[in-house]
Amino acid sequence: METHAHGPQVIADPETLNPAKRTLVLNGALPGDETLEPVEEALLALLREERTEIRGYAMRDVPLAHCQGCFECWTTTPGLCKTEGDAGREIAGAMIKSDLMVILTPVTFGGYSSEIKKAMDRIICLVLPFFRRVDGEVHHRRRYPRFPAVAAIGVLGAPDEEQARIFRALVERNARNLDCPVTAVCLLPADAPPADVHDRLAADLEPVLAHVGGRVA
Amino acid sequence: MSARRAVLLVGSARPPGTGNSEALASYLLARLVEGGMETEVFHVHRCQRPEKERALFEAVDEADLFVLSTPLYVDALPYLVTRCCERMAAHRAAKPTEHRSRMVALVNCGFPELEHTLIALDICRVFARQAGFVWSGALGLGGGEAIGGKPLEEVGSMTRHVRSGLDLAAEALLADRVIPEEAQRLLARPMIPSRMYTTLGDIGWLRTARKKGTLRRLWDRPLG
Repeated sequence: METHAHGPQVIADPETLNPAKRTLVLNGALPGDETLEPVEEALLALLREERTEIRGYAMRDVPLAHCQGCFECWTTTPGLCKTEGDAGREIAGAMIKSDLMVILTPVTFGGYSSEIKKAMDRIICLVLPFFRRVDGEVHHRRRYPRFPAVAAIGVLGAPDEEQARIFRALVERNARNLDCPVTAVCLLPADAPPADVHDRLAADLEPVLAHVGGRVA
Repeated sequence: MSARRAVLLVGSARPPGTGNSEALASYLLARLVEGGMETEVFHVHRCQRPEKERALFEAVDEADLFVLSTPLYVDALPYLVTRCCERMAAHRAAKPTEHRSRMVALVNCGFPELEHTLIALDICRVFARQAGFVWSGALGLGGGEAIGGKPLEEVGSMTRHVRSGLDLAAEALLADRVIPEEAQRLLARPMIPSRMYTTLGDIGWLRTARKKGTLRRLWDRPLG
């Protein structure tokens, strides 16, 4: 994906867009790692079939300050991270305006890469500080009426059942905490043949593609 | 024979001396010092420059015990901790050594239930495996904001179970054993009943907002 160092790039041809649907792609490839490129190509092809507007960030090219854990986005500048001058607010805004957020990442100790975490840590401004209970467990209340559907695509350097389990659990817990309407997880080996990549993505992401393509209510 | 060494990495981005992760780990480290260990403390947000990062990696390479104490950020390790772990694993893979340090992880979160920390603790265990540490166990703590960044003894009887759990953990680590399950059971006991914690938390946000003059804007949707 060609992505500018500052600001998102609209990837699809505007004439083909379904203006009602937006997809945000966060690519968490680490510097020097090109193993996600074929997966990203196959993903974009699938998303274009859904005629959704696609915005993407190659996070390694996006300078972003770390979350300071100060909670000022809840009390001092409600709904906005206090840090200005980087893409943090822009990415949080793109996220909440999307119908689908796709996290593309090397599976890192079972979780997301640091490049994805760089963005994810800056989104607590999207929820309220107040608590709610879901199935007996405490979570934060929504700030916005809805959160996008989430698809997480993890690329594993070698088969690793433990990391695969952790990755699925992380996506599920993110979805519960952020109140996502639909989620999908796709785990791929780094050396998967391109045809397999396309087929696996199409099969595993079906629930969220249907959501963004307007094929489900 | 030289004293055994423990290196603590604090994963909070809050200023030194003010975070809950540091308060928890400081208590553990104090018990390790009483048991004859030497300790050294690093803060992850102060290890971003190459020379600071190198100092951390070298200290961990030579340590007998690596302690990672971190808050939970969006269900996992914070960005800076994840980045540090990625780079430390690469450093250790490039420089294999006979010396096998042990590693423990402490993860605390602002939700009352410690279950929120379990994925981050799993991530720490996989990191330990990939970076060549001997895994010595982990402890999760819910309701960490109740500590208020203060030393656990100062917080008072509310942290009695937490301190007992950390005492057990220190005892095991000094004997080169894995942290016992009983230590986690002790930390699992809530410092404050869950409903009281969430009520006090909600009131606290409102009070802070009133002081800052943002009470009416607290529910704003500036990005939507």
